[in-house]
Formats: sequence, C-alpha cells, structure tokens
Amino acid sequence: MSLRSFVTIVTSPRPHVGKTLLARMLVDYQLHSERKVAAFDLNTRDAALSAFQPNHTTFSGVADIKGQMALFDALVADDGVHKIVDLGDDMFERFFLIAQDIRFAEEARRRGVAPLILYIGSADTASVEAYAALARLFPQAIMAPVHNELLGSAQHRDKYPPHGRGSALLHMPLLAPGLRRVIEQRPFSFVETSGSAAPDVPLEVHIELQRWIRKLYLEYRELELRVLMADLRSSIQS
Amino acid sequence: MAKPAVILVGADKGGVGKTTVARTLLDYFTAHQVPVRAFDTESPRGTLKRFHPNLTEVVDVTQIGDQMKIFDTLANSSAAVTLIDVRAGLLSSTLKALNEIGFLDSAKKGQITFAVFHILGPSIASLDEIAETSQVVGEANYFLVKNFINNTTFFEWDPATYSSYFNRIKGAQEITVPKLNEMACEQVEVAGVPFVGFVANKNANGEAANNSFVLRGYVRHWLGNVWSEYDRVKLMDLVGSHDGASMPAATS
Repeated sequence: MSLRSFVTIVTSPRPHVGKTLLARMLVDYQLHSERKVAAFDLNTRDAALSAFQPNHTTFSGVADIKGQMALFDALVADDGVHKIVDLGDDMFERFFLIAQDIRFAEEARRRGVAPLILYIGSADTASVEAYAALARLFPQAIMAPVHNELLGSAQHRDKYPPHGRGSALLHMPLLAPGLRRVIEQRPFSFVETSGSAAPDVPLEVHIELQRWIRKLYLEYRELELRVLMADLRSSIQS
Repeated sequence: MAKPAVILVGADKGGVGKTTVARTLLDYFTAHQVPVRAFDTESPRGTLKRFHPNLTEVVDVTQIGDQMKIFDTLANSSAAVTLIDVRAGLLSSTLKALNEIGFLDSAKKGQITFAVFHILGPSIASLDEIAETSQVVGEANYFLVKNFINNTTFFEWDPATYSSYFNRIKGAQEITVPKLNEMACEQVEVAGVPFVGFVANKNANGEAANNSFVLRGYVRHWLGNVWSEYDRVKLMDLVGSHDGASMPAATS
C-alpha cells in the first residue's frame, strides 16, 4: 500500500538534545503546509510540547493500557492526519517495547502510514547502541538520524547509519543565541511568526529566525520526499 | 492416516482458566490446519461453544449417550483431534469413567493418542489433584498447565513439594500460559470470538469489527507466546501433523 501520511517520532534516550524543539518545528511545518496535524507529548518531566502547541498537542502516556490505546490507536489511524510524537527519554524504552509487542510499525505500514523515527544522535555509547537496537527491532520503520549542530560539529555518520527506504541524515541548524529567548515564550508558533515580524521581535532577530526555520523546513521536506519517492519506486517495481 | 487424538482439558477447581486454554488449543490446531472438533461439558450452556460455535458441541459427559457420541465416533470423525473441555470438578471422575469404558487401555495399546491438559490452580489443593489423577492417567501424555492469564501467583507452592507431586506422573511436562492484559482479556470475552478472530479484527459473523489495535496487538503477542509453549512440547508431533501455523495479521 502506498504511503499517505506520516507518524514522525522524534526521540533520543538522552535528555536535552533538542527533541521538543524539533517536534515543535515539525508541527508548524505541517500547519505551514496546510496539512492536518496531531501531536502527542510523551514527556513525564516537562510537558513542553503541550505548552508550546496547546491547540494541536495531546499529553499522552504509555504507563497504562488506556493511555496506550489512546496513543497507538490514534497513531495507526488512516485518517490523513500527520502525527508527531515527542518521545522523551523517560518513556523511550517503554514506548518502543510496547510498539514492538503490538507490531506498531507493521500495522502502520499496512494502513498506508509511514512510521518515521527521527533520532537525535549524541556521542555516548548508550545512544549509539539504542539506535542500532531500534534499527534491528523495527525493520519496517524508517530511521533517520538527526544531527543537531547545537550538540557539536561531529556528525557521527558511521555510528548512526540511515535505516529504511529513503532515509537520510537530517541536519538541525545551529540556533543563534539571540533566537532562543524569542522561541522559548509559551505558547509559540513558528508559523505565526513567519509573516511580518511580531511587534516585540527586533527585525534582525526575525530575519535570522526565518532563515533558521527555512533551513529546517527544507531539510525535513527533502527527507519526506525521499521517503515518498523510495516508496513509489518500490511500489512500481513490485 | 494418523490415529485419532483426544485431548482432555480439565481441572478439579473452577475458575482456573481451562476454557481459556481449550480456546488457545482450538486456535492452535485450526491455524495448523488440523481438523478439530470440541465437546464442551458445561451442559446445558457451554462457554467454549460461545467462542467456537462451529467446532463445539455441548454434552453431558456423565451420560452414557453423550459418552458414546464422543468416543464411538473417534474412528469415523473427519476431525483428527477431539478436544474435551471438562467441567470443573469432573477431571478425576472423567478419567475414571474413561478407564472403565476401556478408553485408557486403547490409548495404552497405541490405538488412540491421548493427552491431558491439567490446569493448575494456585492453591495446594491443585497438588492433591495431581496425586489423584496420577493414579488413573496411565499412559496419557500429561501436561501440567500453570495458567497466569489472570495474574495468578502460585504462592502456596514449595518447589520441592511441587516437584515430588510432578514426578509422580511419568513423562509429565509443564506448560506456562503467561498473563494477558486484563482489558485485552475482557474485550475478547465481550467480543465472543476466537482469539485469532479478535486479532484479525473480526466479529462473531466474520465481518470487520472495530477492536482496538493495541488490544489486538497484546492478544496476538500473548497468543504467540502460548503457541510457542505448544511448539516446545511438540504438540503437532503428538497429534501426527507437521504443518506450520500462521497467525492472522492485525488488519483493520
């Protein structure tokens, strides 16, 4: 079955690597593209995505069966809605154990939903090993490593090989120090600031922010297109 | 042609999940394309029949007429496996009745394959059941099933005591049925369909149902583990078949 929508899981087993920032960008990217989007915040410590994007985000959990049903049944629904999951390090293991048990990736594929895991890589061994384990456990998923420039210039390409048809490394450009203060205001939407500059945002900051947003949007759009093209090629060949 | 196989599923206590085990066995044989029929001895209203109406007949195993219906038809039935879900409290007496009608002798002579799935409860009384049934079970293939589906804890058992009872039955094997999530278990009960039907998201009429994907995933995972136990004890070899099973996909 051809892919019609994405479930994008932004994750890492490490805290403070930029997961929520990337998830926020992806929610806004879908809105900017005039698509339907639903986000799921899986962070027990800090429900940041819910605070930044309250209108599009559901605070979710996988600790009990009701939470699991509310989350996974929504994720695999073939309803044309693009789903973004901000999966915190505290729920990382539990989420993927359940996903493996219930064969989440296979079911999503069967329904025309592409499971895409955006994994923010870091230099530590535990993170590298977790990435390799996920690639083994979820052969049906597309795993794209994310290089967040904020974490350093080393990209660790050899440790985080792209996995799955159409996958590629996604670059998260460095955020200028002055921008962080602006985007950390809650709630905050990148879409709403993409037009004219907000009155309290200096023009040079606004321009810099737009440059950063465009870079990241472009990165993600290319990744999406690569995945869709690879799927199309595969459909034609089979 | 393979000789007929009779599988008795029973316990001397109620509420230990013997019908649940019987249902997993029917699903297992069906998935392996082994023709199977079942008799539900919870007369007049059978729980097993509710889940497998096309395979199951409700009988009163204490009545001669119904005993004839089961055992006199073994050779002529198209079913390779006959499964009998014995009502709670009747396991020992059913085994004694089988002894009296010469059925156990036929099994001893190798004319019939006979297996007993003895579902154990958490209390020490279950160990006494083993002692009792061991006197009449003869040459049957004996499986002691620890059923954790309802999160049972076998807290009263001292391992040494258990082993001494366990060893009384020659060649007995232990099977473990793991716990299934309560809500998943409950939803299958409500749906009233075989486990494989629930996994395939079908209702009792075979039409598409609207069961939770998560719950279906849990049931599939659990059923796979139960079937692994049946594979481990070589159940298909026992009934003389070697086909591979296929678990239904959790399609929408």
